[in-house]
Amino acid sequence: MNRTIAAAAVIAVLLFSSGEAGLAHHSVAANFDASKPMDVTGKVKEVAIRNPHSQITLEVAKPDGGVTEFFVEWSDKNALIRRSVPVDKIKVGDKVTINVSPSRRLSNLGYFRTAQLPDGTVLRDCGFAAYRDSVQKGTKITC
Amino acid sequence: MLNIAIVFMVLAQASAPVHKRAELNGVWILLRSNTENLKLTPAGEKLRAAYDFQKDDPDMRCIPASFTRVMHTPSPPIEVRQHQDRVEINYEFMDVKRRVPLKAQLTAKQAPYAVSKHPHMGRSVGSYDGETLVIETIGQRAGILDTLGVPGLYQSDQMRTIERFTPNGDTMQVTVTHYDPVYYLEPLKVNYTYLRLPDGKILKWDCKPEEATYERFLPPKK
Repeated sequence: MNRTIAAAAVIAVLLFSSGEAGLAHHSVAANFDASKPMDVTGKVKEVAIRNPHSQITLEVAKPDGGVTEFFVEWSDKNALIRRSVPVDKIKVGDKVTINVSPSRRLSNLGYFRTAQLPDGTVLRDCGFAAYRDSVQKGTKITC
Repeated sequence: MLNIAIVFMVLAQASAPVHKRAELNGVWILLRSNTENLKLTPAGEKLRAAYDFQKDDPDMRCIPASFTRVMHTPSPPIEVRQHQDRVEINYEFMDVKRRVPLKAQLTAKQAPYAVSKHPHMGRSVGSYDGETLVIETIGQRAGILDTLGVPGLYQSDQMRTIERFTPNGDTMQVTVTHYDPVYYLEPLKVNYTYLRLPDGKILKWDCKPEEATYERFLPPKK
């Protein structure tokens, strides 16, 4: 419970503080802080599985009423296909909780880690490193 | 006597060095990469310090900056297809389809654009050095060289690049050396190790600038 409240507080700070400074460059590790994972709960407005990056748009409730958009960036479409990630389980209109690595500079952006779906199941993406390891070992991808 | 001569001829042929063509055909994914010998000139340092990915990164506009940048993208694989007179390298990232002629009498200057859709990537010509495919590229337009391995590296239109593709079982070593006196005090070396992707296929990338730019995350300008 405390963790949820803490995460919500972090989200609130991130969502409503300014943060438009340009990023240093374009790479997941440089732009997103994997050491500070956080949950974002909202209604799925859009799921765009595409290249060069997929994107889920969530409508997140603001503390003072109304909603704001939070963007979840994700791997490219081709990589998700190769990793057999069941992306179609994330449906527009569903309320989901997505665990993200927050952007280091933009308050309305995070990078996908896992998604808790309405039925309680957790959608995971093992990521490119796990995929590459599975190719190297000739085994099925696991995470 | 004739029999002895034939035996000698067969033995001589068997012991002669075999110059086997590099077997690079297939689809490959990046295992690891590193950049060596990064020694920038003052002009290179200045540009790197001023580099701002939101404004300067061509990938944000779906333009492949360079082969070096394209190969640094971890997940999309590359495909090598060897033919008698050319090598085709199809990079999934940004749908880059490169054609490298292998004609001995052809110089890089005379070669056609390596990627017809992206003339800024220069002109390439290839040859085999034993087990290694060697590609020379010139005529690359001045601009960004890398935004991912080492972000903010630039190239001048004087740059000459030598790539060496060497197979090693299920891996392929690619060593890229950039000679560019405008921005680099010494040749810049980038090493990539690729892993064979069994039954791999190159998929369409189909990048759209409005979906690639970071501006989509920013509030609308007033």
